[in-house]
Amino acid sequence: MKDYADRNRQLLQFILLPTALLTVALLGGLRVDAQTKQFIFLPPPLVTLLLAVLLGSLFVRSGAIELHRWLAIDQPMLTNITNLLSLVALFFASAQAFNSVLPESGLLHWMFSFFFLWTLWTNQFSAFDTRRLLRSLTVLFATAFVLKHLLVSGLYAPEGGWLSRLASTLLQGIAISGPGFAPATGYISFFALALYVGALLIMSPASLQPALTPVPILIAEGSSTEDNTDRRSLTSPQD
Amino acid sequence: MFVVETGVNGMHQTAFPYPPYPRGTDKTLQMFIIQATMQRKLIQIVGIIWTAVYAAAIVWVYATEPRSLKEVATNTQVAAGVYEVNQEKFNNGLMLFRRDQFRAARDEWAGADPAQKDARTQFYIAYAFYREGWGRIYYDHTLFKQGVEAVNRAIMLAPNSSLTVDDPDLQMHTAAEVKVELEQGTEKSWDDLNPLGVFRKRK
Repeated sequence: MKDYADRNRQLLQFILLPTALLTVALLGGLRVDAQTKQFIFLPPPLVTLLLAVLLGSLFVRSGAIELHRWLAIDQPMLTNITNLLSLVALFFASAQAFNSVLPESGLLHWMFSFFFLWTLWTNQFSAFDTRRLLRSLTVLFATAFVLKHLLVSGLYAPEGGWLSRLASTLLQGIAISGPGFAPATGYISFFALALYVGALLIMSPASLQPALTPVPILIAEGSSTEDNTDRRSLTSPQD
Repeated sequence: MFVVETGVNGMHQTAFPYPPYPRGTDKTLQMFIIQATMQRKLIQIVGIIWTAVYAAAIVWVYATEPRSLKEVATNTQVAAGVYEVNQEKFNNGLMLFRRDQFRAARDEWAGADPAQKDARTQFYIAYAFYREGWGRIYYDHTLFKQGVEAVNRAIMLAPNSSLTVDDPDLQMHTAAEVKVELEQGTEKSWDDLNPLGVFRKRK
């Protein structure tokens, strides 16, 4: 049983995690045109890279990513490489997750960007633990998703719903127009964000640590482990 | 003395350090340690390769910007070097071209070469733009400009940027000739006012 747990944990960390993060990086910039139903791939704007850096800093500060466990001089090179790839994937997944919930252009794009920057910047100086950070991020992305894919897309809707009429009445003289995307865009964004939050849960220290904390022991030469009673902790547990 | 990392219940999880193990170590334990280490390394290597391939595929998708799943498949064929023009559609286009149904011919050729990677097909598309846009009194500049784009693609795709098509039904056989005709058609000059222009012939 224990062997399966170890193997599954390794599969989770070294294969499933980077796959999930890269899928977020792929889907975060994908839109579907409302008229032609064609794919539109939007690379992450510069502001999302900045947001991803701030978010990465939050991950480290809150302990969601323990850098000394991910990258360490006393770990095998392969482990360091796989962990580094996962961290790079996390950076781009974060950028694309923001890209997914940011309006593509115009005043709303800058307003959303500003609010994200403001939130992440003020959070840098708050006391966070991993669980609180994950909750906070889930709420942040959920709010942005609702604002963009339900409210703002309602404003952009070509048939013009009640929200569009209300906004045009209230905001006379202010141009609110943007690219029209098919409803599939919202579904893709939802899936990408759900996957991103799932990947963050996988990355959290609690899920990657073994259920039984490894305790390195010293075994006398020639004796079997069953007989050994001299147990001393030598190193911190690795993945 | 050597170090073995083990669970608190005495079950072994990860093996440190690496072989060779000292004499007297239990053989079963040694085998278990080696197996666990090899399995971990294998999963890590597979993970690295898979991550690199997947990341490269994502970069490629964003670079090529396919507009549909069909285009993804076509781009994949091009990248793999197995892309081929649909000959049946190409022949249909040629038949329509010879009947002066240029727009329909272009549609067929667009279907035959969706990735726009075949020099000969792009040459014919440019030729169809030329013939449709040609007029005794004036040239259709919009069609001629599209023709220039198509012939430029043909020239870029041709080996050594030189393309010759041996088709007896055509009066221009090289991409360079078609390009010159199309470019001259898009330029405005005093010759456009020459009444003798009505006697010119379409190539």
